[in-house]
Amino acid sequence: MIRKTPRKGTWLAATVLASGSLFATALPAYAEAGVSAREIKLGITLPLTGAASPGYNKIGNAMNAYFKYVNDNGGVYGRKITLIQKNDEYSPQLAIAKTNELILKDKVFALVGPLGTATYTAVHKSVNLAKRGVPSLFLNTGFSGFSDKKSYPTSFMILSSYAMEAKIVAQFLKDNHAGKKLGLVYQNDEFGIDAITAFKAAGTKFDVTVPYTSGSQSAATAQTWVSQLAAGGAQVVVFFGVTSATAPLLAVSAAAKYAPQWILGSVGSDPLTLRALGVPVAVLNGAQTPAGNPSPNDTSDEYVKQFQEINTKYNDAPFDDYVLQGMNLGLMTVQALRAAGSNPTRKGLIRAMESKGSSFASVAYSPLGYSKTSNVGHTGYYMAVMDANGDRKPFGGTVKLYTTDSGSGPVVLSTFKRPAMPAKGLPSNS
Amino acid sequence: MKNFKFKRSLTLIAVSSLLSITVVSIPTAAQATPACTTANFVTTCLGATTDAAPYMLITPANFNGTVYLYSHGYRPNVAVPAGIPGVGGYTITNTPEPAPGGNPQIIGALLAKGFAVMGSGFARQGWNADSAIKTNVELIGVFKKQYPKTTKVVAWGSSLGGFITQALAEKYPNLISAAAPLCMASDLNPLMTMAGDAIWGIKTFFDPTIKGGNYSAGPAGYAEAMGDLVKVFTAIGAMQVAIGANPAAPAWPATSTVPAALKAVPSRSALVLVALMSGIPMQSAHFDSTSAPAGLPAANALSFQLAINPALAALENLANAAALGVLATYDLELQAGGAIFDNTATNYAARVSDEQFIWSSALSGNAGIGALLGYLAVVPRAKGDPAAMAKLASLTTHTGKVEIPTILFTATADPVTTPGNQQSVIDKYAAYSADKWAATIKERGSKKPTNNQLALWSIPAEKYTKFTAAGTPNTAVAAAPGTNHCNFTVAQHLAIADLLAYAASNGKNLSGGALLTKIRKAGNMTYDRGYIAPKMKYYGG
Repeated sequence: MIRKTPRKGTWLAATVLASGSLFATALPAYAEAGVSAREIKLGITLPLTGAASPGYNKIGNAMNAYFKYVNDNGGVYGRKITLIQKNDEYSPQLAIAKTNELILKDKVFALVGPLGTATYTAVHKSVNLAKRGVPSLFLNTGFSGFSDKKSYPTSFMILSSYAMEAKIVAQFLKDNHAGKKLGLVYQNDEFGIDAITAFKAAGTKFDVTVPYTSGSQSAATAQTWVSQLAAGGAQVVVFFGVTSATAPLLAVSAAAKYAPQWILGSVGSDPLTLRALGVPVAVLNGAQTPAGNPSPNDTSDEYVKQFQEINTKYNDAPFDDYVLQGMNLGLMTVQALRAAGSNPTRKGLIRAMESKGSSFASVAYSPLGYSKTSNVGHTGYYMAVMDANGDRKPFGGTVKLYTTDSGSGPVVLSTFKRPAMPAKGLPSNS
Repeated sequence: MKNFKFKRSLTLIAVSSLLSITVVSIPTAAQATPACTTANFVTTCLGATTDAAPYMLITPANFNGTVYLYSHGYRPNVAVPAGIPGVGGYTITNTPEPAPGGNPQIIGALLAKGFAVMGSGFARQGWNADSAIKTNVELIGVFKKQYPKTTKVVAWGSSLGGFITQALAEKYPNLISAAAPLCMASDLNPLMTMAGDAIWGIKTFFDPTIKGGNYSAGPAGYAEAMGDLVKVFTAIGAMQVAIGANPAAPAWPATSTVPAALKAVPSRSALVLVALMSGIPMQSAHFDSTSAPAGLPAANALSFQLAINPALAALENLANAAALGVLATYDLELQAGGAIFDNTATNYAARVSDEQFIWSSALSGNAGIGALLGYLAVVPRAKGDPAAMAKLASLTTHTGKVEIPTILFTATADPVTTPGNQQSVIDKYAAYSADKWAATIKERGSKKPTNNQLALWSIPAEKYTKFTAAGTPNTAVAAAPGTNHCNFTVAQHLAIADLLAYAASNGKNLSGGALLTKIRKAGNMTYDRGYIAPKMKYYGG
């Protein structure tokens, strides 16, 4: 039974429990969830197991490796970063549960790099990130709908949108594959909507279109895709989907001796992962792809070189596009935390992203679009081609960066120079 | 994808939770003063209020002055023929229910603490909120007359009883000191819109001979309603078998008359769409919309997680919603004098615009959802009777204007009174508080209105679908916490009872660490002020 006249001591204990600690009320620096004198807790949801996990499951460990490197070099204003990874198995319902766990149980300061469009849509709607004021930095999805700042006031994209990607591919098709029969395989959800809408606006007409439902990708379903593409005589096939769909598509095509010119979308084209999933390197040879980052093998790139060193010491995983992406997310997160000041708050972090985010150093070649009115991340791609070693080189020998928006803006050849990698890969911004 | 055979009919499990369980004996006929008997230091009084509603009062010898008034949930106002799954064999009963389900553990625990309990069986069944509120007001007077040392009355109730309890708190703060609406129904119009959309969706996709409302007068209407129950469960049963036989591409039921082209879309996706457009949760008693059987190839496992499990969750929940839909629609049409469901202006595409991205795989992608919505856009709609709908709208609704402490508790995957019911009362109370605060500021006051509403949630575990060794979903296990209708434990009910006692004694709800400790010990009760349940679809257009 509940005591009707509680003892003072009992109530004091209850108050302390409810507020975290008495100390917390005295020092504003510790008042924010996930931030203590020595630590900043961050969280990420992503598929660590299951069919959708190949490649993506490396991102969290790569981020963590970068954070360990930063922690060993003094942390962020003396605080060490802890990253809590939660496996959502690419399931929207599980992503909701895991995000709730991160926010309510683990009490993270912010989410960083949550991955997946359907999963993030579910999380944003059900966990009410905006109402809770939880910052969600660097979404690992290119769905342009997330760039609606009014609906997603605490979320910030990182990838150039799928719409931008499709617009740039459309331009590339026009410039390099005019007159050929075109095929399109796309994930039949918002991923595909972005691409289809952008291709349509650009006037690209596909002779064969093959939609597939997310989660249905397998060798068996890939047989039907390939049959349709081959029957339609597609000479150039554009693919907008995830790596776990790229792999059966290419493997089945190779077995059927169907060899069109592949143009593989950026999120499903990591050569190392594709090879690990059984795609022969010969099939990849000559495949074209829009890319935002340099090749993970390009050690002449200062970012790649630094990240490879960190990876060797702290991660010991094969260095590929996903590891590069994870490291870069870590680098950007540290800059965001530094920009939020020595006593970071969630509101302060969002303000910092809006006011300083566009100047952050990032491995990707294109400009960042953050501002008070925009949560758009990177804004462009260059076209690349894969070689006989499974490596990726700029198409035509040099990086030609194209920038655009997710709407009706033009595709522009850019002269943008990305900021230099901070010395030793350790940001000193404020 | 491997097929499987269910160990048990889903509908049998699901629908049984709709009806409130009655375990106490039927009282004597209506009488001015109750007939009381005392045994083992407990006095049980049976009587009837002036509307002939039987009641039961149970009071311990060491009565401490506080009595719990319980309002039971929805009981159909018609007998249901034997043989209909889940609800078959029901006969109308007005047996009083002095505690949730008449549970002797709950009653015993309260009596042991010196509390009394009471409850009415109400004068009529079906949707009876307006008359039940009057009955309860009279019953409070009866109890106080019988036990003059009564100092506090606290009200609680489940489902429809939750509606009645909230209304009591809004209308009679002078009679009750605290209230706890549990798994509550809120406004009738959204609730019946949800049920109507569910039945109409099942009718449209799976069996157009389902009438779904606008039932005839007299015995013919009764036969139509009972026939609908049979047809709905037959369609749902057929879908269950079809999904078991071919999870990836289950056959459409033989009764379906959708165009052949639409049948290219897996029928399971139509189930998911019906659940989404009517606002029914995508987690059910046995299906978490996440799990897959062990041992499947990775690609098949992902497909099961994203497409098959959600379809089974929709199937299981629709069985509940449709049962409510048929029985309540029939009852309310009798009360209102005509058809109460009208979807002539409903834009189902807008209804699901958010969720279609989240459940894209289960809906078979844009092509699937486009085809299904395209069909809904061209088929004939249900037209309501304006006078009947106006009459329905005139029945009691909640205002959210409550001055006494209230404690709300519901499951986030309740398929009958969805969490949006509780959320609508939370939102109304927030608006009321904001208005009060604005008025205070206008009068140059500085004291913010006290938040006297405590909202608690029962949230399902991350994963709870069980599979047999053969990989078949095991629906023979108990419904998972956080799912099903009013699926609360004795410990949860007693925690609510404790919170009510505290609120009645202190004029405010328990808070801070003591509250957290209390609900943690009860298990699966969450206090999270940042949680917002999706409102019922009716509110969203």
